[in-house]
Amino acid sequence: MTQADWIWKEPKEKLVDWLEQMWTVRWFDEKVDEFFAKGMIHGTTHLCVGQEASAVGVCAMLEGKDKITSTHRGHGHCIAKGADPDRMMAELFGRETGYCKGKGGSMHIADVEKGNLGANGIVGGGIPLAVGAALTSKMRQEGYITVCFFGDGAANEGSFHEAVNLAAIWDLPVIFVCENNQYGMSGPVKDMVKIENIADRASGYGIPGHVVDGNSLPEVMTVMKEAVEYTRNGHGPVLIEAKTYRWKGHSKSDAKKYRTREEEKEWKDKDPIRFFQDALIERGIITQEEAETVKKETKAQIERSVEFAEQSPEPSEDTLLEDVYA
Amino acid sequence: MQSSAVNSSNDKETARSITFAEAVREALSQEMREDQDVFILGEDIGVYGGAFGVTRGMIEEFGPERIRNTPISEAAITGAAIGSALTGMKPVVELQFSDFITIAMDQLANQAAKLRYMYGGKGNVPMVLRTPSGSGTGAAAQHSQSLEAWVAHIPGLKVVQPSTASDAKGLLKAAIADPNPVIFYEHKLLYKTEGHVPEEAYTIPLGQADIKREGTDVTIVATAVMVHKALEAAEKLAEEGINVEVIDPRTLVPLDEQTIVDSVKKTGKVIVVHEAVKRGGYGGEIASMIAESEAFDYLDAPVRRLGALPVPVPYNPTLEKATVPQVDDIMQAARDSVHRR
Amino acid sequence: MAKEVFMPKLSSTMETGTLLQWFKQEGEPVEVGEPLLEVMTDKINIEVEAYEEGILLKRYYDEDEEVPVNGIVGYIGEEGEQVPEEKPGAGNDSPAPESTPKAPVPEPAGQEIEAEKAGGVRATPAARKLSREHSANLSLIQGSGAKGRIHAADVHAAVDGQQVRSTPLAKKEAEANNVDLSAVKGSGSYGKITRSDVSAPRAVEELQSEPLQGVRKVVAERMQKSANEVPHVTLHTEIDMEVAMELRTQLLPVIEKQTGQRLSVTELLMFVGSRALRKHPDVHASMTDDRITKQAAVHMGLAVATDRGLLVPVIRHTEDKGLAELAAETKQTAAAARNGTLPGKELSGSTFTISNLGMYAVDHFTPIINQPEAAILGVGRIQEKPVVKNGEITVGRMMAISLSFDHRIIDGAPAAAFLTDFKQMLEQPYQLFV
Repeated sequence: MTQADWIWKEPKEKLVDWLEQMWTVRWFDEKVDEFFAKGMIHGTTHLCVGQEASAVGVCAMLEGKDKITSTHRGHGHCIAKGADPDRMMAELFGRETGYCKGKGGSMHIADVEKGNLGANGIVGGGIPLAVGAALTSKMRQEGYITVCFFGDGAANEGSFHEAVNLAAIWDLPVIFVCENNQYGMSGPVKDMVKIENIADRASGYGIPGHVVDGNSLPEVMTVMKEAVEYTRNGHGPVLIEAKTYRWKGHSKSDAKKYRTREEEKEWKDKDPIRFFQDALIERGIITQEEAETVKKETKAQIERSVEFAEQSPEPSEDTLLEDVYA
Repeated sequence: MQSSAVNSSNDKETARSITFAEAVREALSQEMREDQDVFILGEDIGVYGGAFGVTRGMIEEFGPERIRNTPISEAAITGAAIGSALTGMKPVVELQFSDFITIAMDQLANQAAKLRYMYGGKGNVPMVLRTPSGSGTGAAAQHSQSLEAWVAHIPGLKVVQPSTASDAKGLLKAAIADPNPVIFYEHKLLYKTEGHVPEEAYTIPLGQADIKREGTDVTIVATAVMVHKALEAAEKLAEEGINVEVIDPRTLVPLDEQTIVDSVKKTGKVIVVHEAVKRGGYGGEIASMIAESEAFDYLDAPVRRLGALPVPVPYNPTLEKATVPQVDDIMQAARDSVHRR
Repeated sequence: MAKEVFMPKLSSTMETGTLLQWFKQEGEPVEVGEPLLEVMTDKINIEVEAYEEGILLKRYYDEDEEVPVNGIVGYIGEEGEQVPEEKPGAGNDSPAPESTPKAPVPEPAGQEIEAEKAGGVRATPAARKLSREHSANLSLIQGSGAKGRIHAADVHAAVDGQQVRSTPLAKKEAEANNVDLSAVKGSGSYGKITRSDVSAPRAVEELQSEPLQGVRKVVAERMQKSANEVPHVTLHTEIDMEVAMELRTQLLPVIEKQTGQRLSVTELLMFVGSRALRKHPDVHASMTDDRITKQAAVHMGLAVATDRGLLVPVIRHTEDKGLAELAAETKQTAAAARNGTLPGKELSGSTFTISNLGMYAVDHFTPIINQPEAAILGVGRIQEKPVVKNGEITVGRMMAISLSFDHRIIDGAPAAAFLTDFKQMLEQPYQLFV
């Protein structure tokens, strides 16, 4: 019995839903990768294949009113916060039905109604925004908390330090979730950060910091559950570092020369989805067949999202100048 | 024009006269009393009262929750304001010197200005960033700049540059009410200038220029402290028989093009004056706008621009003065235009 | 259903990729995300991972083969599924969006705006607008602004007829001498006052003009016709006159005693030229009505400047005449031509012409052919010049000479050959005795 075992007592629908979410994230980004490779999607994209557990695990512990700020590697956060993959895919296709009416693309998907204050193309750019959202919650006593996703690379941006300090001195309800996927583009975290854990930086700002296995959904959820309780009760911010790995390159045209195939294999053996799925089957919560069904259905769902995106209209040029100002 | 009632000299004798800084404070206080969502955050704005004393006394009235004294973290202050604006608040950032906008630039240029558009029209960023700008205080190169052209260049931001106490009050109230990020420049030399400011709440819409002085021979478009220099030049030029019209755009974005164009059509001659460095300055934008407008066919002299020399603002007072346009420079430019030189 | 494995587009510029290696054999199972093949592009080597799981059913390309972007390199599917044996056409189901050709935009109907006639005039936009409104010609309006820039007030004054037009110098002069310019009558174009009008009003010299007539008219027409009709080519060379001049010096007293005339270079040229022409019948030809006639007897035309204009008296049968005879006849004929006493028939019938400007500071020039002749010789001055002889720089007496020929009648080579012979004969006149 470990600390995370509470999760298996959750209702089956919830557990299956989390498995579904992780598969949805996986299939979504695999599909995006394929379309980029075929030249069907332009621009650039950053995939979170292999990091599904941190996105899903963190958001699973939030309530509907809670908010998140996301990153350039944000498809998983978006799906986990309840976004519709159809509209996400449409956005990547630059279509009118996309979350940003085709004007944002992969790096700028926001789903304000669902509390996703948006992905961000600037490394560390969203951290002060999350602090601001938390400030609103505190000043208006709205009771929501804000989760600020960022990567190991952003932890070296000045905005991280300024914003965490500000949140700390004001006891703001914000949880900083660092998804440490080991590389800032090609820069290995061990070369770019002197200390062992980015979470250790929390002590520098007088807030709690936790390191967690980012590939273990139960572990992520357990740490997150505790942090949510702490923060929601007005104790101020928490810094969580989820150690994980991105299976794909940083973006397109990444030959991944900065890491070995052995290292990749090591992490792929710790596939967060398989880990969770096997545990569910092992514990008799779902059958092998049910697991297969989830996998197939989520894949089919993404195919339908593609269909939706492809059939959606291009935005009219008349909308070009809309929404620069409110 | 629009605010002639405010500026009218008839009731100057009897009317209440307060300083620019007091007018800014009055606008902030009135807004904060009226709307709980309005709050201020910035460095040393609490008991210290801000670097230029604008928020003096406000923490006593509104408390530290709404007059939020921050650490020296311009990016975080600005970003937190954006995030809180995005979630329903109406923050007013005080940035201690407008030179420090460099440190907040990512948050302004890449976040505040673009979020709404990138998100397909979802979310507003109703925030104001107030900041003291300009030279004349002997504070040298890093505390004397006029960088308004930087922000005016970025779609998604609005830019205000008031020149009088009454304009400052009305424009700041409009800026706070505006659903977009607004950069509000307060020229340091104007803080102590006095003028009639009505006590009651009023707003001056963003995007309305003001004709500060009517004239027939030459139009001078001037911003911030240059409005006063242009008016002084105009008085002296009147003795030479040159009748100057002085226009204060008051907001650079949006720009009231029509008032400027109409004036140039009337006078046929125009001089654009600002304190910012002439090269790449907003005066170039105004000059180009005139050349592209229907006023072109009425131009009877080259459009002239006056701005600071391309040099960091020097410390020595004589050198500092020599850097930015002075009354004599404005007078000479007007003479050249009128006398067909 | 089996899924295609495509050659991915790995960079915006990539068009083909080289398949470096397969990581899977046909029939091997493949998982999503597993490396399937390695590709080299213009930028990098990259491992392509599988998007599908199943069995690698087919590999269409071998290692080191080039594959176009979106080309199908293989199939992944379930065991036993059928896939094409041959590689499908590259990218035939490529999803690349078709570029829909835009409908051609019709050119706007040619509503031409009349070009401002005063393009080079400095004027403010307001002045230009006023001038358009009043149909005033800006080029006739005096600008009062910097560098003569015309302002609106200048146009108003001009339209009201109040403007005094003067040059800047005239204005300066008037200011210096306290002259009221509005009282001065301008002698410049459109009544513009120039400095001379202000300072010393002096009688303006009448310009003389007369109708084109007489010899001038004939010359004009003939030159015009020749220049229009004949494709002229002019060859230039220099002739060392050292020996020829020595010869002249020796013969001068002899001929003077005999004829009373001084032998000139012109006669030497006629003498040598006649003999060279006989040697080169191609050059000694004429063309009339599309017929080329090779001439026999040399009738040498000599361009002579007279008061009435250019005349070309003819010395006949120069090929038969000695230098004394040529000197006597040439001097006589030329004098008669200048006096206007030369009979008309002696002004026509030449077969070749020499135009000698050697008495002026002229080197080469391009004479116009005296039609219908095939060529004309243009003679420049003789000048002492440094020349290289036998590897040493010495002073030579060099004569510049040009031969214009009618390229319809002859080509460059025969003309050049004639000129070369002519040059040699003059440089080594003794060979004429051979």
